[in-house]
Amino acid sequence: MIECDVLVIGGGMAGWFAAIKAREQGLNVLLADKGYVSKSGETIYAGDTAVFDPDAGNDLAAWLEQVDVIGEYMNNRHWNELVFRDSRERLADLRSYGVQFEEKDGRVVRLPHPHANIVLPDTHKFPPTVSEVVHWLPGFPEKVRKHLIKIGVKLKDRFMVTELLLQDGRVAGAIGFSIEGNRVEVIKAKAVVMSAGGGGFRPVGYPTHELTADGHAMAYRAGATITSKEFVSPHSTNPKDPAWPPMYLFFSAGHSAAQPGMYSAPHLFNAEGDEVAARGVAWHGWIDAEYEAHEGRAPLIADLGKRGVLPVSGPGGHGSMFGHATGGIVPVNDDCATEVPGLYAAGDSCGTCFIGANYSGFGFATAHAAATGARAGLGAAAEAKGLGADGGIDEKAVAAATARLLEPLERKGGFTPNWVTQVLQNTLAPYFVLYVKHGDRLQAALSTVEFLRDHIAPKLYARDDHELRLAHETKNMILNAEMKVRSSLARTESRGTHYREDFPGRNDEEWLAWMRLKQEDGRMVTFKQPIPAEWRPDAAKSYEERYPMRLPNEVPGSGAPNAAGEGR
Amino acid sequence: MAIESIDFALCNGCGICVRNCPMDVIRMNRETRKAEIRYQADCMLCGQCLECPEKAIYLKPGWPKPYLLGWG
Repeated sequence: MIECDVLVIGGGMAGWFAAIKAREQGLNVLLADKGYVSKSGETIYAGDTAVFDPDAGNDLAAWLEQVDVIGEYMNNRHWNELVFRDSRERLADLRSYGVQFEEKDGRVVRLPHPHANIVLPDTHKFPPTVSEVVHWLPGFPEKVRKHLIKIGVKLKDRFMVTELLLQDGRVAGAIGFSIEGNRVEVIKAKAVVMSAGGGGFRPVGYPTHELTADGHAMAYRAGATITSKEFVSPHSTNPKDPAWPPMYLFFSAGHSAAQPGMYSAPHLFNAEGDEVAARGVAWHGWIDAEYEAHEGRAPLIADLGKRGVLPVSGPGGHGSMFGHATGGIVPVNDDCATEVPGLYAAGDSCGTCFIGANYSGFGFATAHAAATGARAGLGAAAEAKGLGADGGIDEKAVAAATARLLEPLERKGGFTPNWVTQVLQNTLAPYFVLYVKHGDRLQAALSTVEFLRDHIAPKLYARDDHELRLAHETKNMILNAEMKVRSSLARTESRGTHYREDFPGRNDEEWLAWMRLKQEDGRMVTFKQPIPAEWRPDAAKSYEERYPMRLPNEVPGSGAPNAAGEGR
Repeated sequence: MAIESIDFALCNGCGICVRNCPMDVIRMNRETRKAEIRYQADCMLCGQCLECPEKAIYLKPGWPKPYLLGWG
């Protein structure tokens, strides 16, 4: 048994900040990660972070409006303001940890949002952007790792936490195992920060396979409320080498801010040679592209001008690649505490609803991870300090958790995690399940997911330590699938990246609300949480003014009365 | 096919690739004291193993499993 004051689970941007801030309070901090801290998670692929700076002329009201309009009012304005206001200090922190940024004359270079100077084809439409980003230089994760070690944060690399341990209704630690050698260990902690990222379904073309919603799943099982799982993170790939990652770099017009006016958004053509009007959500007319495929006019070609021509294929397997800064564990205060006493959430694990229903600004996820990480670290530290000597953890509970952890390894036979993952992908990856959604198809997917949950997951078996990890990840992905499908079914309208073919329009009367879910009597129930009245769009504005991005076959105000709320 | 090979003659057994791989694809062979590809099917082509100081690792853009796309 290992003991610490604060346990941080997951070592990306959020986990770094949580661990550093808690450690700076003089506490014994342990940071556990499935991979090797500085080589794991999603932060390492990020190139920038948004920094709000009033001294640089940034206007808070304008930044908030950007998130409102692009996030389609599903953003949490309180958290927008907190994160924006924190961002300058987090930048200073990162610099003090040794992270280097693009600088000129000793000052960090501030760049406009990559879309601010983009040359748009006439067929494209996205709302104006005012937010700004700064770029760090390569090698930044290694710099932070060195700093973590220097200040005395204990790192537990290649260790997968599988379950939170509760004692008398509060989190008292966690159990997990070393990826190599399957050595089971219990970590006792006075407070735990969950910063294990978001979740996807092992998409082709994006190195996010370790993001299997572990954090959301563990917190859900411990009784936390999860929010906004119906929104997705669309990233297309190319049909020639779908597994080779760099496609999205082309498609997102790169960091055009570095060289304003150099790049233009790609013109998209369908199989009949017609240009696809990219008027839809999520920046690149993503929904328009999906709909072209739906109508039988794929393959699509992106004409990148001087950079050539690129075939485009559907996102497959993402279904919210990692749900950046939108869905996740609902925080109950500004310290990122959750409904589960002793549990804090940060980064993509934390469901602040920061970005809203669309990814509303470059660098927002990293800024959000840094801000929530620091807040969760300080909150967890304060709680740990207040507790004094901690109690034990019930031995029977530990024995039961250990048995659950090792169960796939104990089985003589069953289903391999790789096969189950493929079945899950087959169920969810086709565009017509989580991208162009329909109630009937979601219901069909839910039937399969429930079967996987009830019949297959309990029979997952692992032949060695490597497969033990995969088995637990697969269980978490099945749970994530159920969350995504149920939330998508419940939201009977279209909004942001949630597009319902059977309800092709935003319905402000019914759906200015977040979709929450939690466990009740062992079942997953969905319920609405209304958006505060003062954050709603101005009802005097026309529908088109409130929602400048168009949807296929759009019917303004389409949507059914509350289908959620009664539970299932 | 994802991570393709680790050159046995070039590998110096430093273990950087084992450590860097987020998917636990590479393990150290205790007998030969060299890195080996143990779970190729789980390679996600992040390329972090290419930090190899001996440039002993080869990747290919392919995928060890059937492709599954949203549409195609």
